[in-house]
Amino acid sequence: METKDDIAIEVFKLSKTFHIRDDNYNTVKQRFFHLFNPAPIRSIHALKDIHLSIHKGECIGFIGGNGSGKSTLVKCMANVYQASQGYVKLTGTTMLMNLGVGMSHELTARENIYVSGSALGMKISQIDTIFNEVIEFAELQDFVNTKIKYYSTGMVQRLAFSIAAHAKADIMFLDEVFAVGDQTFLEKAVKVIEKSWLEGRTTIIVSHSMTLIQQYCKKVAYLKKGEMIYYGDPATAIAMYHQDNHHQS
Amino acid sequence: MALSLGDYAKGWFKHTNKAERIWLMAKIEFKLRYYENKMGLLWALMKPISDVLVYFIAFALILKVGSPHYVAYVFLGLIIFNYFGECSGGTIQLLQTKRYLYEYTNMDKLEIYLSVILSNFIGFLFNLIIFLIYCPFDGLSFDYHIIYLIPLFLTLIILALAFSLILSNLYLWAKDISQIWAIVASILFWLSPVIYPAEKFHTSLPWLEYMNPLSGLMMNARNILMYHAGIDWKLMGFDFIYALFFLLIGISLLKNLGPTASEKL
Repeated sequence: METKDDIAIEVFKLSKTFHIRDDNYNTVKQRFFHLFNPAPIRSIHALKDIHLSIHKGECIGFIGGNGSGKSTLVKCMANVYQASQGYVKLTGTTMLMNLGVGMSHELTARENIYVSGSALGMKISQIDTIFNEVIEFAELQDFVNTKIKYYSTGMVQRLAFSIAAHAKADIMFLDEVFAVGDQTFLEKAVKVIEKSWLEGRTTIIVSHSMTLIQQYCKKVAYLKKGEMIYYGDPATAIAMYHQDNHHQS
Repeated sequence: MALSLGDYAKGWFKHTNKAERIWLMAKIEFKLRYYENKMGLLWALMKPISDVLVYFIAFALILKVGSPHYVAYVFLGLIIFNYFGECSGGTIQLLQTKRYLYEYTNMDKLEIYLSVILSNFIGFLFNLIIFLIYCPFDGLSFDYHIIYLIPLFLTLIILALAFSLILSNLYLWAKDISQIWAIVASILFWLSPVIYPAEKFHTSLPWLEYMNPLSGLMMNARNILMYHAGIDWKLMGFDFIYALFFLLIGISLLKNLGPTASEKL
């Protein structure tokens, strides 16, 4: 029987609104001179009233068109963005991976492994024990002491994924991380994710690859214009997504 | 039941890896700052030494307003002011440059600040060691009063952390805060007894000793390290209260503006 203790992520009535000024008053001078004449603010409702409970060990997929709110939802769930309304309750350490967010490009792979591992709650002595595995898995043996700004996007993603997998983040948010990297690495990565579910770790995958979502996700959330239209059976969610795409085209 | 301060501190060192993490990040930050260029750590020394040289020529040799041990006097004032400057103006874009830490792994932002302040403090200690090595050559010696450096440094660190928090969070709201702070820092420099002899500063602007926390810290540091005079506790008390006051403002800004950092940057 599932209990409250099994819940890794609880999203309750989550809404996110971005308030954007049409101009760009972002200096003291501009703010001062426009004190009594502020530019109008536009509100963009990126997420509307999202409810979601994700259990430990589940792999959940988020699908939807561009601008549907998938990445915003993931960032709110990872506490990168602050919710405008509602809340997100997390149990355990989190790691968010997407193409824009990553490790420090000024640091080497070695330093990034230690900083990220430590940020995920590991002691230095524990990081020492997994260090070689992380490097081997990421296939970066020859670039351990190279700053990652000299890496390709695929190499950075491999390293980030390898750290998350070996440092055992309780919750992994994978936002389009499989868009880069070759087939061999993808297969390796999937095996690691499958193993992590057995260990009770939770994975959230955001992807436009329906094959990947259907193959690995237990449940799928379909988002459209900031609303969660459906959450449940992957086949149904994917069918709804395709149907909407068909209507639009 | 509320945790006592002792339990909280114990948690930092025993039950979590926070202390270890802050130290790790401070070491990496220090390495990035000083070991990424050919001059290495010598670079950290170049600025105070060149400044001391300029002020010595201008004030002691040309204007003849220097006092005994003027080089040591200016050097100590400068390293305190430079540490404060690096922690305040030098960290204005901290939330921008370190965003990978709090976005990628959801790290507590305060830990990031502490690591940077600590990293700068290592550089400060390096300069202080050079000062201590220089002192005997200038006929200066130390006594047991050196122990008073502990509360003094603690106050300096709190003050530096406070301004780092305030400025970097204000940067989210106004991007030109660095230009404004450059002017404020310049005023602060000339309103602190960095280069003026203590007695002239005291006679001309006695009220400023209590209004500018950096003045008090510099004067007390000189009392301890140069004059065997112990610490002026009244001045120290003022400085400590200022530091706590600004820290509260900084933490409040971090709590209110900090969560929007990812959106605004």
